[in-house]
Amino acid sequence: MSTPAIIKTKDLDKYFHDPVEFQALKNINIQIDQGEFVSIVGSSGSGKSTLLYVLSTLDTDYTGHIYFDGDDLSLKSKNELAEIRNQKIGFVFQFHYLLPEFTVLENICLPAAKLAKYKEEEYIERAYQKLDLLGLRDQALKKANKLSGGQQQRVAIARALINDPKIIFCDEPTGNLDSKNSQNVFEIFKELKEKFNQSIVVVTHDNEFAMKTDRIITLRDGEVI
Amino acid sequence: MKKNPLLKIALTHLFSKKRQTIVAMLGVTFGIAIFIFQAGLMSGFQAFFIEETVNTTANIRIFNEAAKNRPSILDKINTQKDHWNIVQNQKPKDEQTKIKNGYQIISILENDPRVAGVSPFLGSQAIFKVGIAQIAGRVSGVDIVKENILFNVSKNMRQGDITKLETIPNGIILGDGLADLLGAKINDNISVVSPLGVNLDMKIVGINHSGLTDVDKSRAYINIRNAQKLLQVDGSYITDINIKLKDFSLSEELAKFYNSKFGFRSVDWKEANASVFSVFKIQNMVTYLIIVSILVVSGFGIFNILMMIIYEKMPDIAILKAIGYKDRDIKIIFLTESLIIGTFGGLLGLLVGFLMQKIVGNIRMDIKGFVSMEYLHFNSTPGFYLFAFVFGLITTAVAGYMPARKAAKVDAIDIIRSK
Repeated sequence: MSTPAIIKTKDLDKYFHDPVEFQALKNINIQIDQGEFVSIVGSSGSGKSTLLYVLSTLDTDYTGHIYFDGDDLSLKSKNELAEIRNQKIGFVFQFHYLLPEFTVLENICLPAAKLAKYKEEEYIERAYQKLDLLGLRDQALKKANKLSGGQQQRVAIARALINDPKIIFCDEPTGNLDSKNSQNVFEIFKELKEKFNQSIVVVTHDNEFAMKTDRIITLRDGEVI
Repeated sequence: MKKNPLLKIALTHLFSKKRQTIVAMLGVTFGIAIFIFQAGLMSGFQAFFIEETVNTTANIRIFNEAAKNRPSILDKINTQKDHWNIVQNQKPKDEQTKIKNGYQIISILENDPRVAGVSPFLGSQAIFKVGIAQIAGRVSGVDIVKENILFNVSKNMRQGDITKLETIPNGIILGDGLADLLGAKINDNISVVSPLGVNLDMKIVGINHSGLTDVDKSRAYINIRNAQKLLQVDGSYITDINIKLKDFSLSEELAKFYNSKFGFRSVDWKEANASVFSVFKIQNMVTYLIIVSILVVSGFGIFNILMMIIYEKMPDIAILKAIGYKDRDIKIIFLTESLIIGTFGGLLGLLVGFLMQKIVGNIRMDIKGFVSMEYLHFNSTPGFYLFAFVFGLITTAVAGYMPARKAAKVDAIDIIRSK
């Protein structure tokens, strides 16, 4: 496949300064292509989550370069990064981070309301499409805190998808789920990649899950091996 | 999804902490209500007092200031620079406190187009006697018709008629407090004794109530001719000329003008009541200090509840930032919350303040102090309401700003990592 790189890093280093000076990422040079389903694995403390946060623009305290969709992220302001996250990046974390007092539909629409690219009726319609994709249409008007854990995680995925991002970053998305729900989530990601050509980067310590992805990036002590 | 997710989030936060939100709102309500009530009361009272004062004090008073320090005769003769002249125990002598050519000055003033009325005045200490009851007070020798043009004496008459001061040769009008103290009623006879020992028997033809308690307890009006008799002076002898202007805001300017024109001391009503105005200034300062401190306290209430919400809603803030909400958006959420508290608390405060004024304003007080009034007077100009509301909003905005900034600075990864 000769797809262009959505993310490319050049000599990426990251240090933690507190409580002691510690190099979390060492000379990372990786590339993730559009439509690629990549997993990042490594033992606890290997820097895999740190890498994810740096790649996904949440963490800006690094040296070296990250090229996202052709742009050098180190040249972007905080607000520009927020816009990039809003338009081009979806997030799924281990914990769902839904606003408990809001309905499922409202939670999913939060990024779309910020983007303001579509009218309200349009993005609500799109939100229902995503809910269909995840089999949650009948839950749309329930409060987010009334759903089961598996359902909440799927709502979080629907929220990540609402603005049709180019890439979805996931930090232990199946960490709190049983094997059936994990399998379910994997199928969803696979479908997204195949149907919509979206890139998916998953940090996981679930080897079974990682084995099924296109490519595995293994980290040890902050280095890619 | 509501149109503005930020507003919805803000409202959700406030509803999730109903009790604290209400307490914070009531803090603002209380501050604003007290402000409306207190400022209305103070300025209402001051306006009432100024009105009474303007009605009872001449716009301009011209008098002869005899006790003023003047150069001694020695100073006049001996002007060499290398000498010291020391004259001790110097007394004004061979001088009268009267205004020379007073009646000529009056007729000049009466022809001045800016002047609405001029009244000659001759005042004296006096002792009022009814049987063995003796009260020290003051008699004001006036031309009652002219005096009435200046001070609307007839409006304040409780009993009797001012014209009787002209028609009955030895008539006297007592202040109601003075009449009470003497136990005297209208048509009774009383004796008035001057400092020179002259005794006049007079007949009470009226009882007067000016509203200024001290004045009502000590003052009596008599005809100026009787006052001249009491002081054993001639018929052109007057000590003061009181002037009412068509436009009383010109008082200060014209007082200076008359001062240089006639060569007698002229003071306007503001200068004459300077001590009262300085009391008002202090009063206002204290009032505003109290209000500001109440609002500062309610500001702390708002600060408190926002900090609580922020700590509780850290994950929400983190995810909002992750999905592309900017720092500014987060700040807006929390500023909105504080402004909602400020707006609703403030509006309620305006209403409560208004009601407090109405209720207290309808309670009969019968105050007899500095001034006497039956009901409290409130000044309820819209300006106070506007000022109170805007000031309340500013306070809440300031109180909300720090928590809002803190929320905007929350580092999303810190929160997400720690879960």
